Amino acid sequence: MTAVIAASNLSKWYGNVLGLNDVSLEIEEGITGLLGPNGAGKSTFMKLITGQMKPAIGTVTVRGRRAWNSPEVFRGIGFCPEQDVFYDELTGWEFLTGLLRFYGYAKSEIGDRAARALDIVDLAKDKDRLIRGYSRGMRQRIKFAQAIAHDPGILILDEPLSGLDPLGKRKLIRLIKEFRSQGRTVLVSSHVLPEIEALTSRIVLIHQGKILAQGDIPYIRELIEAHPHQISVRSSEPRTLAARFVGDPSIQKMTFASDGRTLIVETHKRDEFFGRLTGVVLEAGIEVEEITSPDDNLQAVFEYLVGK
Amino acid sequence: MATVREKGYSHWDGRLCERRFPWWPITRTGIQLAFRKKRFKVLFAGAFIPAFVFLVGLYISERLEDFKTIIQGSDRLLNIGPKYFSTYFANGGLLFLIVLVLAFGAGGLIADDLKHNSLQLYFSRPLGKKDYLLGKMSVVGFFVLVFTAVPGLVLIIFKLIFAGSFKFFLQYPWLPLSVLGFSALLTVFLAFYILLLSALSKNSRYVFILIFGTYIFSNVAFGILQSIFRTPYMALFSIPVNLQQVGAFVFGQKPPHNVPAVWSFAVLAAICGLSAAVLDRKIRSVEVIK
Repeated sequence: MTAVIAASNLSKWYGNVLGLNDVSLEIEEGITGLLGPNGAGKSTFMKLITGQMKPAIGTVTVRGRRAWNSPEVFRGIGFCPEQDVFYDELTGWEFLTGLLRFYGYAKSEIGDRAARALDIVDLAKDKDRLIRGYSRGMRQRIKFAQAIAHDPGILILDEPLSGLDPLGKRKLIRLIKEFRSQGRTVLVSSHVLPEIEALTSRIVLIHQGKILAQGDIPYIRELIEAHPHQISVRSSEPRTLAARFVGDPSIQKMTFASDGRTLIVETHKRDEFFGRLTGVVLEAGIEVEEITSPDDNLQAVFEYLVGK
Repeated sequence: MATVREKGYSHWDGRLCERRFPWWPITRTGIQLAFRKKRFKVLFAGAFIPAFVFLVGLYISERLEDFKTIIQGSDRLLNIGPKYFSTYFANGGLLFLIVLVLAFGAGGLIADDLKHNSLQLYFSRPLGKKDYLLGKMSVVGFFVLVFTAVPGLVLIIFKLIFAGSFKFFLQYPWLPLSVLGFSALLTVFLAFYILLLSALSKNSRYVFILIFGTYIFSNVAFGILQSIFRTPYMALFSIPVNLQQVGAFVFGQKPPHNVPAVWSFAVLAAICGLSAAVLDRKIRSVEVIK
């Protein structure tokens, strides 16, 4: 797949503070989650992609064109910033139509597009209300509406789910996933892991201005050698099961959970263990209730990588 | 039971036309927002009073006999020529009103964008920094030209109508150019001046005070310095005086102060240069360091 957004040796300083440090990255079609704690450099990276800041070193290209100082590149980009960006004295309708005028649409089309975007985010009824009177969730939704109103091929969403109620979050997640199914590119940032996990498994982990890891969550997890995989097996006879594995060189450690029914195994060779587990369970006639991997998720990957 | 319907996103194949004036939406919004303020509307209407007074003067000048008892020997003030126009354009009252209108209506042009973090929305669209600044300057230009070029040309047209001949035009064929030239100079200077101060704060009230305060204070400073140093060159410290000097020069009149008008040009140009440098630095995305 060809890279839609490509960053090469990208660095950005804010005075003496390093915002991004030698970041090289390629983002392909589909949804990519940009994950990192506050101050990690996510917003800086997004602002560099959207051409709002000039990189101190390196280049960013969007569909092969440099992002900095190329306003025409932004015809195909929808950007939803993290902060509130409203003129409170405008109505939702005026806000959207005002921004759509930058794209050179005919007047009737501006109206159509604004109406459609408002409809998508369920704000059609409130379009004539002043933004000053909008709730936090409504503000978040109108911000998303301005990002999609011009039908962009690339969506850059900086913490788009913050401030939304669970229903709103679910709906927005579904909408973002629809973008992916249409072959578009979505880059979404968040410091809330479950939000990213709900959107995509393809992530970029960013911390202190550096890219810590990039790829699918299981793939990245596989690469973390320092932390063996945890496999939790709940069964009626956890001790019998453990006895069968004593001496198995693929296992680093075995412990029992406080419920007395769960065996927690730590191994570097997960597939090998699963292969053996099936045989052991069948041989011993042990009834297994549940097998899970408690650290095979984004939270664990993130914590391992940032050393928390 | 109510039906739950979910609306999805679907591709929209709209017609995209080239935007020839990408700065226009900025200008349009700026003018619209200014007229949302009630006080501004009153002020805007009030700022036409000088033009109306000068129009009445034009009318009277053509019918001096009819108004003999009213004007009582003040007819020399109604000698219509370049001086009359120079007086309209470079009088302290009109300049004061224009600055007041701009402080009210255009003070928040950049300050409000900084306050609302709007720059990131603008610059993630097909809009360059130059387009953005041109759009903001056009808002200032609109308000300045409405009180200078438009009334100036209207006064010339009415002079011809009241006189019933083209004699005035043939006598001063360069006058419309002077009107347009001075209006353009005033627009350029005030656009840089207003935007410079608007970019210095996120609070449009502070900007209002800055715009108005700097304008007034520069004139007060001129008065104080002149009384100390007794030299007309202190006039260069005053923004209104520099504008009057340039105005007199453009209309072919003797400058009110004994300082070459070119010095006033230089001072105004320096302020514009300073403004351009500050704007270039300030107009960029909001950089948040956490």
